[in-house]
Amino acid sequence: MPYTVSVDKDVCISSGKCVADAPTAFRLDDDELSEPIDPSPPLPDATLLAVARNCPSGAIALVDEQGQSVDVD
Amino acid sequence: MSAPTLDVVTIVSFAEARDAYRQKDLRQALYDEGEVIMADVLVNLHGDEHRRRRRVENRSFRRETFDLYERHLFPAAIEQTLAPYIAAGKVDLVHLGHELMLNLAALTAGVDRPQGTAEETSRLYDYTMLFIEGATLAHSTKDKDEQRKCILEGLVQWDQEFLQPSISRRRQALASAAAGEIPDSEVPKDVLTTLLRYEDELELPHEVIRREIAFVLLAGAHTSATAFVRAIDHILSWVDAHPEDAHKVLEDPLFVQRCIHETVRLNPSSPVGQRWALSDVTLKSGVRIPKGHKLVIDLAAVNRDPEVFGPTAADFDPYRELPQGVGPFGLSFGGGMHVCIGQDLAAGVVPSGDVDTDKHLFGLVTSAVQRMFNEGVRRNPEQPPQWDANTARPYWGTYPVLLGASA
Repeated sequence: MPYTVSVDKDVCISSGKCVADAPTAFRLDDDELSEPIDPSPPLPDATLLAVARNCPSGAIALVDEQGQSVDVD
Repeated sequence: MSAPTLDVVTIVSFAEARDAYRQKDLRQALYDEGEVIMADVLVNLHGDEHRRRRRVENRSFRRETFDLYERHLFPAAIEQTLAPYIAAGKVDLVHLGHELMLNLAALTAGVDRPQGTAEETSRLYDYTMLFIEGATLAHSTKDKDEQRKCILEGLVQWDQEFLQPSISRRRQALASAAAGEIPDSEVPKDVLTTLLRYEDELELPHEVIRREIAFVLLAGAHTSATAFVRAIDHILSWVDAHPEDAHKVLEDPLFVQRCIHETVRLNPSSPVGQRWALSDVTLKSGVRIPKGHKLVIDLAAVNRDPEVFGPTAADFDPYRELPQGVGPFGLSFGGGMHVCIGQDLAAGVVPSGDVDTDKHLFGLVTSAVQRMFNEGVRRNPEQPPQWDANTARPYWGTYPVLLGASA
């Protein structure tokens, strides 16, 4: 099972980088804050990790199949 | 002369710098001496105030907007700006870089030039150069109090001549769109328009809008202009040593983009990042920054960290291989919440996997630099480049070049 993903909207600064990098996994809501389209996006773990690392505000969290938080720093 | 402060922690490793940029209790400190321009500007804000403004301004920095600039607006600006210099067969790269990038920065910021004359652009250029002095006051070698006075006077004059008419036009456009008289797509996408569109939410006094737009103007023009000059310098030296790559510079924009990234890595716009510790902060490495201390991130060293960039880290090498998760430009664009908002606009999107060159964003510096090589740019043997003596930052003060076919 691949990573599951979540976005902390209180932390998101609406850079839009995740949406530009992975439009099948993220979208902007009506307030232009990021949100996952699906908690388990159809993307390789490495891609999700790169997207999470590229988030300027550190708003994207990943959890692996054992339920452990993935270090994205 | 002020006494050296002992309450400074300096870091030189890439891993520590990346960690530091993500710490939420480290506040921007780089612009403390440049308040005349930088007070309450986005890059100087912290916490909720920063998040609120950044969320609004990011709406002007979407990739579809960058696409519009890179593929449609900027090629015309390059043509128009370069034409007289191509005809003359020579130019000073330092002046050209700022003139070229100012044309784009004005679009991004939302500063109009309704007359469209060379004199009008020249006045805006002079104001922008003054604002650049304000943002880089920390590294100035001139009388800083005198500079502050001149910068404030210039700011007020620029406000009357350029900013207020630009605000009036945008208020009119927003009102027309709200009344259904024009489609919203006809309203400009620049930062000034976005600030006005959300002014009820942000509640910014006019003085703050004035400094914010001045900052967008100076930052867009100056950082890209210095990268433009330095990239041409590096590429000229690279091609001298590797003539087999000369054709790539002319034909392969991905190679040129790689050269731009390597240039930016070796030459961050500011040689240091600085932060104030709002509480005791301990980095993953164990380095501790006590509350009230200043953190200095030595970017020149960080971007030459051999642990990350290898034993040749100090050399310019567009073929350098990088570890996963490391940007090819190092940390020159900063990181964390204050990462440069115009990074993708200036340097393009970092290529990964197969690149569709019809859709890829190469960055405006890439486009401008490659165009210079297609115009035959080469050093002028009779006028060697000189460093800028007015700042401790390693800027070129003058860089004369020749254009056109060599004799």
